[in-house]
This record gives sequence, C-alpha cells and structure tokens, in this order.
Amino acid sequence: MTGLRHIGKSVRRKDGPDKVTGRAVYSEDVKLPGTLVGRVLRSPHPHARILRIDTAKAMSLPGVKAVITAEDTKGVKHGFVETPRYPPDQDVLARGRVVYVGEEIAAVAAVDQMTAQQALDLIEVEYEPLPAVFDPLEAMQPGAPEIHASHPKAAIEVPYANIGGRTTSGWGDVEEGFASADYIREDRFESHLRTHGYLEPHVTIAYWESERLNVWTSSMGTFIKRAKLARTLDLPYSAIRVHKAYCGGTFGGKIDLYAHEYCAARLSMLTQRPVRIVVNREEIFSAYRHGQPLIIEIKTGVRKDGTIVAQQMRTINNSGAYRGSGVVVIFLAWGFTMIPYRIPNLKYEGLSVYTNYPVRAPQRGHGCPQVRFAIESQLDAIAEHLGIDPVTIRLRNAREPWEALPNGDNVHEAGLIDCIKLAAEKSNIIDHYGKGRNASGTIRRGIGMGVSGYFGGSLIYPNGSGVIVKMNDDGSATVLTGGIDVGQGSETVICQIVAEELSLDLDDVKIISSDTDTTPQDIGAWISGMTYVTGNATRQAAGNVRRKMLDLASSRLNVDAQSLAVEDKVVFNRNDPHQRMTYREIIAYSIATKRGDTILGEGFWRTMRDEPAHPSLATTKGRWSENYAFSCQVAEVEVDIETGEAKLLKALTVHDCGFPMNPALVKGQIDGQVSMALGHAFLEEIITKDGFTLNPNWLDYRMPTIHEMAASDDADVITEQYVVGQPYRTKEVGEGLVSGILAAIANAIYDATGVRLTSTPFTPEKLLRGLRQLEREKRAKN
Amino acid sequence: MILFDFEYEPARSLPEASALLSRLGEGARAMGGGTDLLPKMRIAITRPTAIVGLSGIEPEPPSVTAEGGLRIDGLTTLAALARAPLVTTNLPMLAESARVVGSDQVREMGTLAGNLCQDTRCLELNQKHDYQFKAKCFKRGGECCYPFPNNRPGRCWSVYMSDIAPALIALNAEIETVHAAGGRRLAVAEMFSGQGIDPISLEPAELISAVITPPLPANFGWGYHKSSRRGGFEYAIAVIAVTLTLDASRQACTDARIVIGAIREKPVRVHEAERVLVGQTIDDALFAETVNAAVGEARPLRHHGFSRSYLIDNLRIYLRRVLIRAVERARGHASTT
Repeated sequence: MTGLRHIGKSVRRKDGPDKVTGRAVYSEDVKLPGTLVGRVLRSPHPHARILRIDTAKAMSLPGVKAVITAEDTKGVKHGFVETPRYPPDQDVLARGRVVYVGEEIAAVAAVDQMTAQQALDLIEVEYEPLPAVFDPLEAMQPGAPEIHASHPKAAIEVPYANIGGRTTSGWGDVEEGFASADYIREDRFESHLRTHGYLEPHVTIAYWESERLNVWTSSMGTFIKRAKLARTLDLPYSAIRVHKAYCGGTFGGKIDLYAHEYCAARLSMLTQRPVRIVVNREEIFSAYRHGQPLIIEIKTGVRKDGTIVAQQMRTINNSGAYRGSGVVVIFLAWGFTMIPYRIPNLKYEGLSVYTNYPVRAPQRGHGCPQVRFAIESQLDAIAEHLGIDPVTIRLRNAREPWEALPNGDNVHEAGLIDCIKLAAEKSNIIDHYGKGRNASGTIRRGIGMGVSGYFGGSLIYPNGSGVIVKMNDDGSATVLTGGIDVGQGSETVICQIVAEELSLDLDDVKIISSDTDTTPQDIGAWISGMTYVTGNATRQAAGNVRRKMLDLASSRLNVDAQSLAVEDKVVFNRNDPHQRMTYREIIAYSIATKRGDTILGEGFWRTMRDEPAHPSLATTKGRWSENYAFSCQVAEVEVDIETGEAKLLKALTVHDCGFPMNPALVKGQIDGQVSMALGHAFLEEIITKDGFTLNPNWLDYRMPTIHEMAASDDADVITEQYVVGQPYRTKEVGEGLVSGILAAIANAIYDATGVRLTSTPFTPEKLLRGLRQLEREKRAKN
Repeated sequence: MILFDFEYEPARSLPEASALLSRLGEGARAMGGGTDLLPKMRIAITRPTAIVGLSGIEPEPPSVTAEGGLRIDGLTTLAALARAPLVTTNLPMLAESARVVGSDQVREMGTLAGNLCQDTRCLELNQKHDYQFKAKCFKRGGECCYPFPNNRPGRCWSVYMSDIAPALIALNAEIETVHAAGGRRLAVAEMFSGQGIDPISLEPAELISAVITPPLPANFGWGYHKSSRRGGFEYAIAVIAVTLTLDASRQACTDARIVIGAIREKPVRVHEAERVLVGQTIDDALFAETVNAAVGEARPLRHHGFSRSYLIDNLRIYLRRVLIRAVERARGHASTT
C-alpha cells in the first residue's frame, strides 16, 4: 500500500472534536418546543392473561395528553426476522397476554415526568397470572407452559414444546467419521446472560408535523428503523424521516424496532406534539434485549494426530418470549463452527426455545463467543489427551488460503495459519504452556489460545449501500452516506476513502450521514460490513467523480486521460506537469460546457451480488459471505488457587482483517473486545429469578473498569491491499474478537489450575468447586 | 430523576439540624453527601417529605484527643478521611476502610457519619419497583420477603454494607451524637439494632457529630480486607477487620477484636473466635481454629448473588490472611501502612 496518503493511517476521527468538546448531538440532546414526556407501562408478570385495561383515570389526569394500548395500534406485528418461514411475531404493545416481565402494555404522553409517572400508576390492568417457564430444557418438555406453539415445521420434526425455530445442517457422514476416529470426546458448555452495556440509553424523540414523522433515535441503522416504523404505523416510507443523531454505543442492542420507538411516534401522531421517551437503565437491564445464553453439546472425533474427522453439535438457545434474533443465533452458531477448521463430517442442530424472558438481540459476536468457547475448550482437552500442544492441533485443522467452504463460500486469502503461527511466536505459548500449574505458592499463571473466524457484510435488509460524492465549486467534497457511526469510526473511514480516491486533504471532505431523507440507503452497522460494503460504494462514488474530472480535463487540455494524474486538487499531465487544471477549474468548466452539470458521483455496493438473498436460516443453504476474517488470540491469566479469584493479565490478538484502513480504529476495536470478553469471563452477569432481574443497575451488574483491563497487544496479518480505483476486500474486525480471547481465557485457567470450566462466567465459586473436585480425585487415586 | 416532591432545609450547625429534624417530623431526613439517600429516593424506596441538608456545615479537621486517640468529625468526607495525615499515620486501618468505599466521586461526597448511618441493602429492594417486585416487601412496609420467602413476618434479612463500621468496631471506637434531648457517647457497635427493617438505632433527630477512637496499645497489629469482584465501585462480598495485641515477647495474643461486615444486618463481632485467639501462642493451628470459630459464628446471609457457601469460603481464606497480616504488623514485620 505504498503511496497511500490516508488509507492505512491512524487519522484523527471526524467525530472526535464534536465528541470531546460536547458539541455532538445525541438523540436526547434534540430539543423541540412543546415536547411531551412519554413513558411505558410494563408487565409485572412473567406470563399472564390481560383481562382488562382501563386507561380512563390516566386520561383524565391533568397534563396527560394521550394514552395508548394495543387497541390504538394498527395491529401490525414486527420481528427481528421477517421471512416467510419466520413471519413477524411481536405486537408493539401486548395484546391479551404478556409473556415476560417488563413487556410493554401501554404508553402515556404527558407534560412532565411526574405527571407521566402518575398516569402510569393510574392505568388499571387486571391480570390472570399463568404458569411460566424460564429454563429452555424445561420449556422444551411436552406439557410445559406454552408461550407460543412450536414452529409448525419444527413441530413435525421434533417432539418439543416452545420451539421458536430450528436449524439443521451438515455434510459428509458423521457416523462414518466417528467410526474412523481414534478418539471421541463429548462435552457440554453453557453461557450466561450478559447485556451490551451501551452507555447511552435508548432514547427516541418523534415529531409528527405536516403529515410527516420526524424521528431521532439511538440506533445502529436508520433505514431499518424507518422500514419497521412505516410498517407498524402503516405509513409510506416517504412519510418518515429518521434523522442523524450521534449514538453512544450499541454493541448489537439497538437494531430492529423497539416498542418505545413505536410509542413515541404513535403518541406524537395523536398529540401533534413532539414526544420523547428516554428508557431508564432499570428498564434496559430488566426488560430490554440482551445477548443469548446458549447450551452447546458437542461431540468431536479426531485422528491420533489431532485431525478432526467428525463433529456433531446441538445448540439450545434460551431465546426469550418472542423469536427475536433467537432463530438467527442458532443459524450463526453453525456458521461459527464451520469457519476456522476443516470438519469433513458435520451434523448440526440448533433449537431456539421460547422462555418467559425478554426477547433477545444480537450482541457483539452474535453467538460466536459462546461457540468458540465451547469448541476451543474442547479442542484443548482433545490435544491434551493426545499429547499434542495447543498450537499444533490448531494448525493441523486450520483452513488454508483459498479453501472452499462447505456452503459454497471461499475463504480467499485467509490468514488463519499465519495468525496462529505469529500468535504462538509472539506469546511463546509452547514454552509456557503446562508450566504454571506446578508452581509453588497460591498464585498460578496460565496461558491459553483461542481461534475464531467471522463473516462480514452478509445479506440482511436493506442488503446494499449507496453513496454519493458531490464536488463543491472550491474543489472540496461532500459525501452523503446512510452509514451510521455508532462509535466504530465509519464516518472517518468513509472520509479517508474519499480523500484517498480524490487526492484531497481529510479536511476537504465533509460527511453527511445516516439521514433517511438526505442520504442514500445503507446496510447499517450490524453485520460487520460497513467498511467493506459502504466503503466500496464510497470508493466507487469517489472513483466516478475522479473519472469525470479526468475526462473533463482530458477534453479541455486535449491530453489522453490515461496520461493524467491527480494530486492536491489538481489534475495534471504526467508527461508535462505544466499542463494542469485545478479541481475548481474543472468544476467550473463542467458547469460551463455540460449544460450546468456540476460533478457528483454515485456508488453502490452489495456483497455477493449474484446471490438473490441470504442463506436459509433453517437449512443454512445458500451463500453467506464473501469476507471471512480470522484471528488467533492468546490469554495469560493469574489464578489464586485458595480464593478461586482469576484475572486476565495479558491478551494477544493476531488477526486478519484484510488490511487495517485505520490502525487506531482497529486497535480500539481490539481493546474494546478484549475488555468485553474479560467482562463476560469474570464479571458481567444478569442475575435473574423467575423472570425478574435482580441486578438492573451499573452497581450490581459489574462491567469491567479501567482497573480490570488487561494489557492488550495485537498484530495484523495483512492479506489484502488497497489500490486507488480498484475494489478492495476488507474483513470483519469489530465483533469476532470477543470470541477467541474468551476461549483463550478458559484454556489459560485450565493451564493454570487443571480446572476445565464449562460454563461462563468463571467465578471464584466455580473455580473453587473445580479445585476441590481435583483434590478429591487426587486423593482417590492415592 | 426523583419523582416526588419534598422540602429542603439547609442547616448551619448540627444542633440546628437536629432541631429542624424534630420540627419537620418523622418524614424528614438528614443528608450529608447524599450518596445513600439520593439513590434510594430515585428508586422511591425512601420518600422523605423534607431533607435537612448538612453539606453547608464545615467539618473540624481530625485531632488527637487528651487520651491519645483520634477525634474525627462526622461530616468528614470519606476522601478526606482516607488522606488525612493524622488518620493515615495513626489509624491506617481506618484510612484503608475509607479508601475502599465506592468510587472517587462517592468518596468526595459521602461522609463518615453518613457511611455509618447507611441503610441495609438487598438486590430486590434496591431497585425501582415500577413493574419488578411491585408488591411491597417487609422493609417497604409490605407483607413478603423476596430473597427469603419463608422469613417470619417482619423479618428482613437485608445486609448492612458499610466498609468502615467493621474497622471502627475493631478499633473499639465510639460515636458522639447531637440531639435536642442532649447528646451521648456510645460504642459504634451499639448504634446498630440488628434489624434489617430499621438497622440504625439512633433517635430520629439524633446526629453523629464525631467518631472517637481510643489510643492504641503497644504491640498492636491490624488487618483489613474488603472482598469484592472488581476491587472498587461496588459493595463488599464481605469485610474483615481485625485488631490484636501481642504480649511483650510478641508470641502470644493478649487481646483481639475480629469483626465481619457486609454479611448480616449489622457488623458481626465474632467473640467466640476472639476467645480462641486470646491468651494463646500464635501459630498456624491457632489461626485455623480461630477461622473455624469465626466462620461458625458469623452465619453469613447470602446476598448480592453470592451463595452462603461461597461467602464462607471467602471468609475462611481472607480471615486467615488478615490474621497473618495483623500479627506481622504487631511484630513490626510490615510497615504499619
């Protein structure tokens, strides 16, 4: 990537000055005169029939401007997945029944917070409590309380209750594979409920004015919000404008429609006044969508040399009371199994099980951390049994560049083998592994490795991104993109591309983003594809501008366009640099000679453009992605074997993201993911009891602080490159790296103690139990 | 946001504050830093009709008493307590116990008296009840107990979480109070009712003006530990505070106070364990015996998601470590800070 001025450089964030000076406008900062306070009434029961709702007293309270229930909606359902197999299944406000604590029943708009609160207290709801179920295995049993009937297709295939969806996949013949194995191991892993931890709460302000709905909402993509609001409100897309607002973190928790967004909009339509709903932290913890706790049963057969010959896996997802993204995570769990290692024979089943918990959402990694924790833990156990070190067994199975995947995808320049080798070299894991456990004293050190692979930019609505680059008369550029910057730095990267393609300074590029009226449609910030999809659209748009300017200069200077080059807002003849035109001159020339044509360029990109749609969630058939990222991570931990307290000392991340467009942003992603994995491993847990949340606050839900953060080192394995004027391939780097390091932590704890933890989080209580079990086994042997 | 109305009356002195509290009646509450009261008001588990503000009263700096102990103003912030030279030099254990409270911001606001007078906590209690745990528990004036459904009516097993009170009890400290009916001096251990419903046994308009500690004997040692998951910004799993005195040969223990906090409705002084320790020559077996006695006596309540058996494991390990540290200090093997 020689000669690049902006790409590959850690340029300053475009949004940095706004954010550090407090000028950045988040949804809650949007102030409109006459704004009403909206609040939502929620279910106090995990499962109950609603016999009666009476809003009369609330309506008659002075200061209350509107109260809505399901009766005031169009009855249009929504869902994270909306396909023929999995049609929308959730009402925006509960109708006749509530199925989790905190489910939205009614909403009020009032002149102030206190009145809104009093209005909620005045809404009378009569419930008939129903039996509820919280454990997915119990919920699957015939005769369990029925939250929803099992999916009709799943009901034919399996005899379980409360099945929201089922994914099956596989290839080869696992029975034959296991028959040929020298060693077979079966394990069961469980992960727990963890929340996203975005600092900015959900906030929506909606204003119905002149027959149009204006919305500011904290989100990961404005176009999907517009689509879902339009459908549930029964409005044309063109009647809704979702404005840009800065977003204070999402991590997967702000994708599809949330009831408060609908309520703010509907209440504004009824009152003709702006309505703001700020969701409080207790609501986010106890009624909003968290990640997905998975049970993973896995059986793996290997040859003596560690080569995997067969794998059978069953994933059971505690999906909450509607389908949510539960039916996606059981598909993705298959994908995250398939990516890094060759598995000649695979049989996979995923079950998404309804329970009386809030609906689940994607969460950074969307199942990958849970899956890699299971597979990488088991792989280490297999390696130990076979007397193979953790590096060798991974290299034995790692995919080579240009391997075809069983689903028809290709891994292209996959850097996995280099990632493993470099991680092994940098961490010196082979020398350290197995040594810490025999130390004296109460402190044990351990080291462990984990591998992961991740897709990028798959096909989910709206499937493609468009970008417009406009040249201004002075030669500066404005880029219009629907891509939303949720903190990952997309606005900066998009500007870097425009500046690179047009040879501008970064300050010459202004960006207008994520406004559904003024910017083109964009895929959104949730499938790890924005740098690739929106980025290539940007490159194309800027490239079209460049081509137009070269053509214009060519005709004006009477020089073949091939001989022209650009630098510092000037087009010049390579063979005679005195022949030159500034951008300003070219634009003026274009307007003068091309019937007023100012210069703008359009660009579009879509992943796998020949594929009609995303793969089947039920069968996994169909192409999934054309961008697979790979990584190998190493964790060094310290365990106090008396107290069971463990901590991550050091994380090493070696990854193949293609190439880093902005190394500082990549580093930020890595450190953030290490911190998140550390929270998942040791600290963070939503504690629930009978569908209620016991720790709905930052105090009792322990996020890691700066004091817990481990040293985080990283290295890139560069497999792709950026060439001006040509399509490029970047790979995911923003969510897959929670996974390998989580698995590495588990493996490092085993290395330090001999305790194989099969469930997260890795609490002192579990470690002490494991250490005592080892003591008992040792005594029994002697 | 606090969603109810209340009056606010600033006080210029503690006697004035006490008089205001008496006048405003039982709905009035005194507020030092507000770090315990305001969060409770936000979630509406306390709904005072009036607040008497103490933040305008300047605390006296810590001073040495005639007896050679320390006198610390009740309105001293925890941050000031943690860094006051007189405290860090003379009572490093007290400074340490203040340093581990909450976060920097909490310590800058919270006061010593407020920390001692903090309410007991329980996960089901200390949250909003808009739709979760709506039916009132015993402590909220209702008819149930969520974490311990079989508790007898009126019994609340919420836990007193002060990090500082166990240290003060181990130091045999007293509080001095101001009250319209006349102030008094009582041992810190005496200010607790042992009842989760109403854990502080001071009168409604009685305010802590100062904490007074006795002088420390020769061959004195201390140990203190706050168990937590992330080392800060959280309430304790358990707090252990130990003070002991060795004989002239520094081989045998002549006096000991062992206090365990954050496991019951009040800090628990484990007298039985102290009796095991006192009069005996220090060795590993004695520590083990002391720890066994303490754990048997402490009877921790499961709280904040920690099981009883884990709390016992945690106490077992850390009490032994704290005892070892206290003996080391008494023997002068370690720096007193």
